[in-house]
Amino acid sequence: MHSEKSSASIEEKYLKRYAKWAFITLSLLILLLLSMVFASSIGPAQIDAGKVFGIILRQIPLIGGMVNKCWTPLEEGAVLQIRFPRVLSAALVGVALSIAGTIFQCVFRNPMADPYMLGVASGAGFGATLVIVLGVGLSQLGLFCAIPLMAFIFAMLTLFLVYSIARTGFGIPILRLILAGIAVSSFFSALISLMMAIADEGVHAAFSWLFGGFPISRWEYIYVAAPVILLTSALIYTFARDLNVMLLGDEEARHLGVEVEALRKRLLILASLVTAVAVSMSGIIGFIGLVVPHMMRILVGPDHRILIPSSALFGASLLVLCDTVARTILRPIVLPAGIVTAMLGAPFFIYLLIKSGRTLM
Amino acid sequence: MVVLRICGVDCYYGSVKVLENVSFTIKSGEFIGLLGPNGSGKTTLLRTISRTLKPRVGAVYLDEVELFSMSSREVAKNIAVVPQSSSLSFNFTALEVVLMGRHPHLGRFKLEDEKDLAVARRAMEMTNTWHLAERWINELSGGERQRVMIARALAQEPKVLLLDEPTTHLDINSQLEVMDLLKELCVKNGLIALAVFHDFNLAARYCDSLILLKDGRIVSIGSVENVLTSENIKKVFNVDVIVKKHPLTNSLYVIPVSSIKPTLAKGRSLSIHLICGAGTGSALMKSLIENGYRVTAGVLNVLDTDYETAQLLKIPVVSEAPFSPITDENYKANLEMASGADVVVVTSVPFGRGNLRNLEVALKALEKGVHVCIINEEPIEKRDFTGGEARKYFLELSNRGAIFIKDRSELMLLLDRMEREKIWMK
Repeated sequence: MHSEKSSASIEEKYLKRYAKWAFITLSLLILLLLSMVFASSIGPAQIDAGKVFGIILRQIPLIGGMVNKCWTPLEEGAVLQIRFPRVLSAALVGVALSIAGTIFQCVFRNPMADPYMLGVASGAGFGATLVIVLGVGLSQLGLFCAIPLMAFIFAMLTLFLVYSIARTGFGIPILRLILAGIAVSSFFSALISLMMAIADEGVHAAFSWLFGGFPISRWEYIYVAAPVILLTSALIYTFARDLNVMLLGDEEARHLGVEVEALRKRLLILASLVTAVAVSMSGIIGFIGLVVPHMMRILVGPDHRILIPSSALFGASLLVLCDTVARTILRPIVLPAGIVTAMLGAPFFIYLLIKSGRTLM
Repeated sequence: MVVLRICGVDCYYGSVKVLENVSFTIKSGEFIGLLGPNGSGKTTLLRTISRTLKPRVGAVYLDEVELFSMSSREVAKNIAVVPQSSSLSFNFTALEVVLMGRHPHLGRFKLEDEKDLAVARRAMEMTNTWHLAERWINELSGGERQRVMIARALAQEPKVLLLDEPTTHLDINSQLEVMDLLKELCVKNGLIALAVFHDFNLAARYCDSLILLKDGRIVSIGSVENVLTSENIKKVFNVDVIVKKHPLTNSLYVIPVSSIKPTLAKGRSLSIHLICGAGTGSALMKSLIENGYRVTAGVLNVLDTDYETAQLLKIPVVSEAPFSPITDENYKANLEMASGADVVVVTSVPFGRGNLRNLEVALKALEKGVHVCIINEEPIEKRDFTGGEARKYFLELSNRGAIFIKDRSELMLLLDRMEREKIWMK
């Protein structure tokens, strides 16, 4: 009788996880909203979190009219035109990098994998440097538009190059893909250094771009990037259960009905696409894509159906907060967010490495 | 009725041909064992049937539908594979792993529900792993993990189950449990099971038919009796074996015999006739042959261990039908053989009515001047089942000068001396 009772609860417990997943997702969503409001309220002029909340709510159709306006136009301008686009950019980049990192780690079955593995970062960096160094004649606005555009074009170009190099008659072996990524990445890094050595006028701009940050967050770019990142992420999420099965290894995944080769290609392209968009928005921000999936695996487990959304939401919150630290800690100097993520991420990663000597995945 | 038909399959890895013209058909309820040395194409054959490897020539049909015309999900609903070993190094529970077997059955946005859990539970109960449901998969022992893998395959609710050495990592108890389970699934649920084995005896005991592969080709296919012959095994594995029917399980079993090394000793002139049986002469035969003596034996019953050893060592034998007393004809043949030898050796074989006449031969040979050595490891009183007649023969033999010795090593010394004397005499 006793065993009957306890075994029934195994199934109940399993089914209860769906409610748990919903709860986790909701909690992390609230965390993200709170960090975004908090981040928007902090700046050279402190603006009440309540006011920030009101300003943002007022922009939403239908319910916007119900909010009483109790702030100055100056405050509204600071929030809507300066702070909120930056916070939103950070959140989007956090989503993109965390999801891409989760995908890369699963597809390569390598806990050290990160979104920049296939050379996307260096490619994008090269595109951006090209604009900074050569686009001297461009206006400020021209630069703002050209940098992300060229970064994205070169990121996709790199991806195409890496794939072409890695492809064999039988498909795309993982090891070849990684090696091709390293080779192409090194090549573009060398080119970046070369460009910076030849022309020193744009050096500072290029440097700050490479460290990653959000100095040029504009609504125009968010309108383009947000749909790409969100739709691609949603598409990736539809493969969540396939990703679980892929952890078993190619052969076993095939036996369970997963078209491994095709799926891997599709996922790597989708993940690299969001990475390219992220890089074009913010330069190269390290450690988010590497560390966030690990933190979430510890907290919610390895099932991608919860791992992907929680990584996305937590990664977004983390990057929003890191960027807030970056622009306030040494005020008036604004640090690149990439420095803060590296300073927080690297020690955390070392801690992970020491603590879980057994396995990271 | 499910029919799996493999039709003229040729497979290549690059330019290396690993399967050649493999054809056979399996129907539901059949449990087929796949045997063959390493590199003979067993795993490749499983990969072909699981649609992992596309044959260059020929095709595999499940219920007359070609596998490559089905989607891989469709195949996964019908064919499940239990891998040789699984590299699971992440924190999923055993239940979660088994539920992955439901993957091909679930739509893209569907979560596992009560029905899937019920299927998983049944699969885990069948493999005796339900108690491990909430344990981490990478903390289970090899045997437990293997059973979880079988449960996952069963959770796919397949019509065909392919297993690559399913029992390799299991202890003997779990081996039998798994084999019983597979057999039961075949018989009761009409499952087709095709499994690679290295253990002939396990395969012989449970499988309906066997397939013997060598160099990518089928050497023999059919019933266990027809496939598992010492000739076939010699041909495929190049080892000498004895195949016998086990009296208890009534299934065949295979005993490997270390192959005889070409003798280093120079040929000796002494010829020795053995009176043995029930395995008392096997070791002796081997050391005599290895020392270069000419050996004969008789009368031995077919199926007797000593008979089989003699066959293997190519020792001339007067043989009698299994479990039958010695006929006059064979008695005479044996006497002739014994009289022609230099020494007759009687091992510590038990004597009953059936083989008593062999002692008569020893006595007659002694009278004709042949040396008779009796290895008396166990006193005759303890192995005389003739009501004292064997003892009488022993007394007579002793009186007439038969040599009683303690054991085999003493015999070998004695024979050595006799050999030298024989040379001196010449």
